[in-house]
Amino acid sequence: MARIAGIGARSGHGVLYVSSFVAGLVVWHLISRMLPGVTFASPLDVFAAMSDRVADGTLPRAFASSLMHFGVGLAISAMIAIPVGLLIGRNDIARRLLNPIINALFAIPSVAFVPFIVIWFGLFFEARVAVVVIMTVFDMIITIAAGARAIDPGVLGAARAFGVRGTRMLSAIYLPASLPFVLTALRVGVVRATNAMITAELFLAAVNLGKMMQSASSNFDIATMMGVVFLVSLFGLAMQQLVGLLEGRLVGWARQAS
Amino acid sequence: MIRRHPDFVWGLASLGLAVVVWEIAGRLVGDLLFAPPSTVVPILISLLMDGRILVDLAATVGQMLAGFALACVVGFPLGVLMARVKWIDMLVHPWISMLVVTSMAALAPIAILLLGTGFMLRLFIVFAGSVGYIVLIAFDGARSVSREYVDVARSFQLRGPALYRRVLLPALFPYAMTAARLGVTHALRAMIMAEMFVITGFGGMIYRAGLEISTAYLISHLILLMAVSGVLTWAVRRTGERLAPWYALKYGGA
Repeated sequence: MARIAGIGARSGHGVLYVSSFVAGLVVWHLISRMLPGVTFASPLDVFAAMSDRVADGTLPRAFASSLMHFGVGLAISAMIAIPVGLLIGRNDIARRLLNPIINALFAIPSVAFVPFIVIWFGLFFEARVAVVVIMTVFDMIITIAAGARAIDPGVLGAARAFGVRGTRMLSAIYLPASLPFVLTALRVGVVRATNAMITAELFLAAVNLGKMMQSASSNFDIATMMGVVFLVSLFGLAMQQLVGLLEGRLVGWARQAS
Repeated sequence: MIRRHPDFVWGLASLGLAVVVWEIAGRLVGDLLFAPPSTVVPILISLLMDGRILVDLAATVGQMLAGFALACVVGFPLGVLMARVKWIDMLVHPWISMLVVTSMAALAPIAILLLGTGFMLRLFIVFAGSVGYIVLIAFDGARSVSREYVDVARSFQLRGPALYRRVLLPALFPYAMTAARLGVTHALRAMIMAEMFVITGFGGMIYRAGLEISTAYLISHLILLMAVSGVLTWAVRRTGERLAPWYALKYGGA
């Protein structure tokens, strides 16, 4: 019964989202009508510009190439953040020694590291991956460390009392206990990585979507620029929802328990 | 053994570890790639003695605070309103969610075409970069204000603006502080990004420092930025404790 009610509420949400979306587009359209047309684009202009780019294949190709450094960067971030976060979360000495360093680095706006990245990695693919990693990894480490620290000691105690130890402790207790916050970190990470994906293309050598924005900018083609930003944001939102859905499926039990 | 030492000893140990690792790494790869502290510290001191960098930094922080203040003034009431009025939430929430995931770097080229490269650009980017977080935290706060508070207030005939002023706003204070702390971090991120994009102010100096032969200049700038970020976060927290010390007591200084 509760399940059915839940589905009902969710489809209700869907209707709300759609109406909000439409209302927003109407407001945007009205604003664009009031502002001088040369500089500000209406949603219709944006749609027209985007369908042109989709039709001639430039947009899908650019987006697909952008996803390369998004994916590689996110994977590297996860590979760094999971062990480091778990270490900081579970080991007292590591936490006290590393936490201040992580927090201090996290305090620096990550885009300020871009000159460093240029010095080390140049302007192309490696550098873009590095931007994604730098912008994503700290958020993920902090999320995972906080989660790992909060693993219910009762569960660990019970496992020990039943004689669970060694690799079995890792696979039967630590792994499932870590899944919820690793997924949360991933949800935070996909948004940051989406952000970094386009930031890298604008701050380093302009390629893919960044190049599309740059050439649109020199033609005063606001419609294309807004379209690209809109699409990237939608992608970020969609990825966030996707990981959220995964969280609900895989670790719904954790949410109920807490 | 771990608990016996106070936090600041661990802080010092952490700092020491960082400096030692950094020095060794710096000596290994050289100034060109990663200047060690023994090179960075004299340069940082000479930059500070010269003083011009501080003038630029102050201007950057001042302009950032303008955008941040605007974001607070707009964002917080909007978040509370969204929590209290269903149809506003329905209309605005999806767009706020979208704004929060939007890259300010991607908005910058559009903002430059519309607003130029001056103060308005920075104001807009800082505002857009921080307002979403402030709205969402205000929203969560206002939703979690205990139903009982509102019911008691209602039974005492408190409604309309008085309900907001006497009951909701005081109850929301800790959330306002959280929103301000998170907001100021994002405002600084957005500000530095905007300045690096058009190469002006302190962000522009970071960009130019990156073109120097020695990375000591770049690292000095990053250290200053770290200090600014720390001071801003501290100042927001301190303001909160001054204004409402009872919350600091209740939430353990959070």
